[in-house]
Amino acid sequence: MIEEAARTARAACAQAPPMGDPAYRNYCRSLGDQLTAQWPQIRKANEQDVAAAEERGMPPTLVDRLRLTDAHLDLLTRLADEVHDALPEATGPSAETPIGDWGSRRRIAKPLGVVLMVYEARPTATVEGALLCLATGNAVLLRGGKEISATNAELGLAVRRAAERAGLPGGLATVLDDPDRSQLRWLLSHPDAVDVLIPRGSPSLIDYCRTATSIPVIASGGGINHVFVHSSADLSLAVDITLNSKLSEPTACNALELALVERRVADEFTARLRTAARRHEGPVTLRTDPSLVPAPDSADAPDAPDTGFREEPLAEHDFGREVLEPSLGVLVVDDLDAAVAHVRRYGSAHTEGIVAEDPSAVATYTAAVDAAALIVNGSLRLHDGPTMGLGPELSISTGRLHVSGPVALDSLVTRQWVVSANGTLRH
Amino acid sequence: MSTDTSATPSAPSGAPDRARIDDAVRRLVVSESRLSVDPQSISDSEPLNGPLLKVNSIGFLGMLIRLEEDLDVALPDDLFVGRSFTTVSDLADLVTAAVEGAR
Repeated sequence: MIEEAARTARAACAQAPPMGDPAYRNYCRSLGDQLTAQWPQIRKANEQDVAAAEERGMPPTLVDRLRLTDAHLDLLTRLADEVHDALPEATGPSAETPIGDWGSRRRIAKPLGVVLMVYEARPTATVEGALLCLATGNAVLLRGGKEISATNAELGLAVRRAAERAGLPGGLATVLDDPDRSQLRWLLSHPDAVDVLIPRGSPSLIDYCRTATSIPVIASGGGINHVFVHSSADLSLAVDITLNSKLSEPTACNALELALVERRVADEFTARLRTAARRHEGPVTLRTDPSLVPAPDSADAPDAPDTGFREEPLAEHDFGREVLEPSLGVLVVDDLDAAVAHVRRYGSAHTEGIVAEDPSAVATYTAAVDAAALIVNGSLRLHDGPTMGLGPELSISTGRLHVSGPVALDSLVTRQWVVSANGTLRH
Repeated sequence: MSTDTSATPSAPSGAPDRARIDDAVRRLVVSESRLSVDPQSISDSEPLNGPLLKVNSIGFLGMLIRLEEDLDVALPDDLFVGRSFTTVSDLADLVTAAVEGAR
């Protein structure tokens, strides 16, 4: 019964030890141990899910999202270690600050409460949610897709054992194993049962969660990301940044979709980009603005190994589009203002970048463009909690409230004031 | 705390007609393809995985629950399982058949 699961989660919140209790760090270690110990059973359950998916005719690319390998165990146990190490700083109290001559104030971390994580397909999300949410004192309801139900059942057992062995209430983590969507709707219609909703998955799922509930949502709006190449840019650097921002992981939410290039340098930039893209090992498609000087015939290109390079004309439907393939666009813009206007219209406020040597252009652009992270003279792929030194992250938020950018450990708590008043009264 | 399933679209008061299903499917495939184009500009014969559309989460929770919400119907979990469809109209046909089957 879904209301029983919700009630258990709320009760576990109340029973959980206060923030800073050693049980939370012990849980991280314990979870790593449990995953390792239970991995054969987890893999067996996962093989059942994968076989069922194949039998039902699920396409291979989707089946791949379900599959767990030993590499995932390495990643997850390493993540548990990282959370263990990052926890004290992320959840510790702030320094004591004097208030006038009468007292002092400090902020302490408290859990957000009951977190509902809704996700599809990738079973690693179960562990990530259970790890980061519990380590920060939250209860979590984990609602994965039914296509990974056997895997999630085993992962749920490992999480519960880890919590209990660390001295935390087992009810802090509940895998919701009933795929009935009416139960999810029930949770979404009960803000008294759930404090925060964290969806991870397809655009439809994110969109549904954003519109179907009054529960606060922490979600990524997808990454329709741009790099603006200003006329003052080091063009070699701009080419490296452009390619790295997409080709290092084309499906990542912080990957580049469209380079906006100032007209004065657009032809030179694009010529260099073509040359570098041809040298890239692996397929790459450039979708280029038809106003650019056309590429020489590929047969005439001096250094063009047959690596799968393709060039296509950029179309208007490419604007505001997230392409989960090694494909990126180049659009010529008249100036910085035109680049800002394009990003405001088509961007998703996820990750935006500028390549420029002119500090005033950088200042103007970063002030005008709205994004969870603005990368100056670097790869968009740097927008990542661990890479930015923020520690492990659950996702990247494009929301404006509570958290924008990496949803790291300190985003899974709220901060409350402790005022030491020394007997002071208000006059 | 009590179970209130009044928000569950299990018994449609008026089953959606084909035009409404077509609209919902177009909105869905545009969203799933991470496009910013007007859904009405998508033709019935547009391939679900072609130069314009890239629909790669067919059958997952998000698509089903979005369709159910838009159409106020309950769809079977295995709606997309083992089915062959390549165009927008194929997908709309499937949803239409499921809606009619639920009547």
